[in-house]
Amino acid sequence: MIGTRPVLSVENLSVEYEVGAGRFQAVSDVSLVIPRGRVVGIVGETGCGKSTLAQAIPRLLPEPPAHIRSGKVIFQGTDLVKVPRSKLPLVRGTGIGMIFQEPLNSLNPAFRVFDQIAESVQMRHWRETGVLPSFHPGPTPFDYSRRPMPETADVLTHPIIPPGAKDEVTRRVSTMTRADYRKEVLDYLRLVRINDPETILNLFPHELSGGMRQRIMIAMALSQKPALLIADEPTSALDVTIQAQVLTLMKELIDEVHASILYISHDLGVVAETADDLGVMYAGRLVEFGPVAEIFESPRHPYTKSLLRSIPTRYKSDWPMPTIPGSVPNLSQLPRGCRFHPRCSLAKPICSREPPPPLRVMAPVTGDETPHKSACHYAEEVANLP
Amino acid sequence: MASPQRPSVVRRFLQLAWRNSVALTRVLRANPLSFVGFVLVAITLILTVIVVVHPSLVVPYGASQNTGVYQEPPTILHWPPSIAHPFGTDQGGRDIYSDVMLALPLDLGIGIGIAGTSVLIGGFLGLVAGFWDKPGTAGGATSTVIMRTTDVFLAFPSLILALAIVASIGRGVWAAFLAIQTTWWPFYVRLVRGEVLAVKHLPYVTAARAAGVGEGRILTRHVLRNVMDPIIVYFTLDIGTVLVTFSTISFVGAGIPFPGPVPEWGSMMSFYQGAYLLSQYWWYITFPALAIFMTALAYSLLGDGLRDVLDPRTRRALTQSVTTHEPPPEEPPLQAATTETSEEEEAVEETEMRS
Repeated sequence: MIGTRPVLSVENLSVEYEVGAGRFQAVSDVSLVIPRGRVVGIVGETGCGKSTLAQAIPRLLPEPPAHIRSGKVIFQGTDLVKVPRSKLPLVRGTGIGMIFQEPLNSLNPAFRVFDQIAESVQMRHWRETGVLPSFHPGPTPFDYSRRPMPETADVLTHPIIPPGAKDEVTRRVSTMTRADYRKEVLDYLRLVRINDPETILNLFPHELSGGMRQRIMIAMALSQKPALLIADEPTSALDVTIQAQVLTLMKELIDEVHASILYISHDLGVVAETADDLGVMYAGRLVEFGPVAEIFESPRHPYTKSLLRSIPTRYKSDWPMPTIPGSVPNLSQLPRGCRFHPRCSLAKPICSREPPPPLRVMAPVTGDETPHKSACHYAEEVANLP
Repeated sequence: MASPQRPSVVRRFLQLAWRNSVALTRVLRANPLSFVGFVLVAITLILTVIVVVHPSLVVPYGASQNTGVYQEPPTILHWPPSIAHPFGTDQGGRDIYSDVMLALPLDLGIGIGIAGTSVLIGGFLGLVAGFWDKPGTAGGATSTVIMRTTDVFLAFPSLILALAIVASIGRGVWAAFLAIQTTWWPFYVRLVRGEVLAVKHLPYVTAARAAGVGEGRILTRHVLRNVMDPIIVYFTLDIGTVLVTFSTISFVGAGIPFPGPVPEWGSMMSFYQGAYLLSQYWWYITFPALAIFMTALAYSLLGDGLRDVLDPRTRRALTQSVTTHEPPPEEPPLQAATTETSEEEEAVEETEMRS
């Protein structure tokens, strides 16, 4: 049933970078499910593969050097890993929207704010009205006028378009005028709480502050009404006060737009405020996944536990601040067994021998909470520790 | 029947033209040297049009025409500059001023023509070679073919090639044009490709890709727009360089013959420097050389100013620095909105009261 089908499910995704002679697995064996209308947060230290994961989903990584080694990215029933490159623009934007972490460089310096947002509105409008081809989830019908011919098994499962049928579809021409675009762009600028949008419309990106630029980026992504929004550290390039503003905005928009969101951050506090489900990544692996409240209450992975312990609050007085000894391992020299064991205070001999089984995150049955899982040999023991 | 969208398109074009011309004048005022360049370029262009359309307005004599005034003996054919002959006359009684003026359309046309054709050829090939350069694909192979061909052409010494072409197809404008054009376009391929390579990995191109914009549109809209500014500037600077090269080719005797039906600055210099002493008849060679120098300088200065006009950052900064004395525009929308609503409310109240 479509109602319960998750917007996105990532299955055993592994992404490699080929740099020179070496190969580095930045994301290994990550499975993830984003149900409709839920906000899934991903946290982890720098270099743990968060951004690679975010960009691998709409296949934005430059190939080479990046390379999707194995796995599936199923977006509304279509495996994006198998979609040919030329068809990817149909999915991006209107299907999967992105907010990048560098608002300074993610806007084209040669275009005014109006042109930037109007292009997004236009792309959506064109795809909606059939001026440009659009993405249709599910099995696509075969067109016999084109090679290659389908295999016998495919004929049974796919609808068939007779040759020449495509010519009957007349291309509709967009009837939007500049004034219509202007109206819609202004609406989106107001949606992201920009004061005096009529003036902002005519400015160039370099004339805006960082927070404003990030709002423009958010407006651009939202104006395409994506089924899934990937926010790749939208607040990390901003200073603290602007961060708070953009975060408030994101939270309000999450309620207003009610989109499915993948929210990537290195800040546990930010994710705690925005996300419903939380995934913790370490050295390219997803080590824990579950509802945010449950993870904060009783983490089941030693890494998550140590992370939570090292969040500074103004009420904590213990000094020195608790930290995790060591640093994230180099992706070219990963430790054997569990990747966290050299830094883990609870490590036992089995941890250095056998890697824990990768997390299999399943879609929650309607109404149920997402199951809380951890990729640790001693998940239960960790949960029961003080 | 005009379509309903038509007036808005026209108005938008006029708006854009007006906005850009305002910016241009302000930038020119802020940068005096480029203003000089702009004036000189305007003069050369106006003179060119006059010489082509109605030469007798500025040119008293025809091309290489014997003025005939100094025929009777004892004759001094070569007169230094005077009021009747501002640039003097040569040993054949030719008015040098007329020849310099008549050479203007040809020299300028060659300069703009060769630089322009190079921008078109080199720009197209450079965009393609820079944007689709992934090794192992059809695009990568095309890119390699384009770049290696470019290298081959870059390896030709332009002067030698010009002499070879002239030797095979004879002297003339087209031979010289072909000779320069052959060696000129590869520079633009390299320039454009370099710019494209720098721009295409910038985050805003990735952002456009993430917004579902197709590759073709990314190239023609996002990449091309950001690559264009340095190329326009380079093109303008290059007009002068082409001119100098063309004159050099004429100077070594491979260009247009002088005296002939169409004069040319380089060939004039070549002709005079071979036959006469510079110390004695200084005006022979000085004025054609000065013409080349002034035209090349004019376009260089203009190109420098264009760099500021085209960059949105400096343009806005310059515009604002000049217009600080103007009071900031009032912001009526808020007030207007409130008054409107109050009027509406009053109207509503009135109607309610009436009913």
